[in-house]
Amino acid sequence: MMNAQLAEFLAHSLELESEAHERYSELAESMAAHHNQPVAEFFRRMANEASHHLAEVTEMATGIALPALSAWEFSWPEAEPPETVSYEVLHYRMSLRQAMELALVNERAAESFYREAGKASKDPETARVAAQFAAEELGHAAELERLMAALPDSPDHQREEDDDPHMPE
Amino acid sequence: MTEAIKLKAKDYKSAVKPIWCPGCGHFSVLNAITKAMAGLGIDKDDTVLVSGIGCSSRLPAYVDSYGFHGVHGRGLAIAQGLKVARPDLTVIALGGDGDGFSIGGNHFMHACRRNVNMTYIAMDNEVYGMTKGQASPTTPIDWDHSKLTPHGPGVRAFKPAALALAAGAPWIARGYSGNPNQIARLIAEAIAFPGFSFVHVLSQCITFCPEQTDWKGVVNEREGPALVDADEAAALFLHEDGFQTGLLFAQQRPTWPPATAEPVVEDALDHLAATFRV
Repeated sequence: MMNAQLAEFLAHSLELESEAHERYSELAESMAAHHNQPVAEFFRRMANEASHHLAEVTEMATGIALPALSAWEFSWPEAEPPETVSYEVLHYRMSLRQAMELALVNERAAESFYREAGKASKDPETARVAAQFAAEELGHAAELERLMAALPDSPDHQREEDDDPHMPE
Repeated sequence: MTEAIKLKAKDYKSAVKPIWCPGCGHFSVLNAITKAMAGLGIDKDDTVLVSGIGCSSRLPAYVDSYGFHGVHGRGLAIAQGLKVARPDLTVIALGGDGDGFSIGGNHFMHACRRNVNMTYIAMDNEVYGMTKGQASPTTPIDWDHSKLTPHGPGVRAFKPAALALAAGAPWIARGYSGNPNQIARLIAEAIAFPGFSFVHVLSQCITFCPEQTDWKGVVNEREGPALVDADEAAALFLHEDGFQTGLLFAQQRPTWPPATAEPVVEDALDHLAATFRV
């Protein structure tokens, strides 16, 4: 018998991890194009991690008939899936620490999403899987915090310090 | 019998990587277009994206479909000609606010009036970004960040939705780059609409207008169904703040060319062949 709640949850999980992978990959390419290699490499690493989680969810969903939803039919707490970096917080000169802070916010948002989904579900299997995913996201957040603590002190990019982009060349 | 494989949004992206500034709203529109194409299951080989010139007009290169990077302000003219010649294709024109409302302003008005069955996406960041930040037709009157207009452009900004309505556009929507899934839904609806559908996207320019990051706090989705009465829509577009999003106006109107018109392409090609035969 099909578990509709689990199918719905896994469909959302797949979209969440897929979007995270796509966005981090896009950001890595974008930062590399703008010569911010440290941040590009970090976003590439985050894309790879999302890819691993995506593979895990994909394997778990094998054989389960998932609902076919278009991108705008998913239900998220915000406009985009929780682990997706918003465009308006980016800057080509952002520091590695700023990039990590963004990722940390996203990992915590994903943890919160999974935790709340688990608590809200009346299906024990869905609750168990959601709690497992939440714990994994918590682990990712802890790893990021460890990396950030090990970062050497360096000035973060501040928008007001930018060169005037309107100055004629 | 083989079952058609449903493509995902990423499958509609080309191998060419965008060089827009990180944080540019146009990334959001690119993702929205590919999500809409995936949602509708559109055949890549039957889709054409046509653009003009500008940062946003680079977009067709980033989509794995047919594309045409046209002349400044002339994307709509090219796209309409293509749709009339090949009505079987899904035709999407796109560009920026300068391309669409200034250099191509006349084409925009007449595209609205003509009502060819196609979609136009205007990615509006209120600035000429590619040429390093000059005021465009939608720049606020007091925007003083450019050395060319140190006291602001001094003229009122266009209201693209009002302009479109006055020119006869039957379908008008507005999205915000901070919400790509909403834009994707609007684009999917726009493509499905039988007529000229205009999607106005507030697409932030992180480099020349960093203050647009504040848009996130002011955009709001309009509640209720789309207006069908042009008078009501005119009142809305003239008096709103320009930050209401969603499908704002939709009205069925006969498209051009009429369904009864003779096929254009065969006749035209025969005529050309007869004229220039040596």
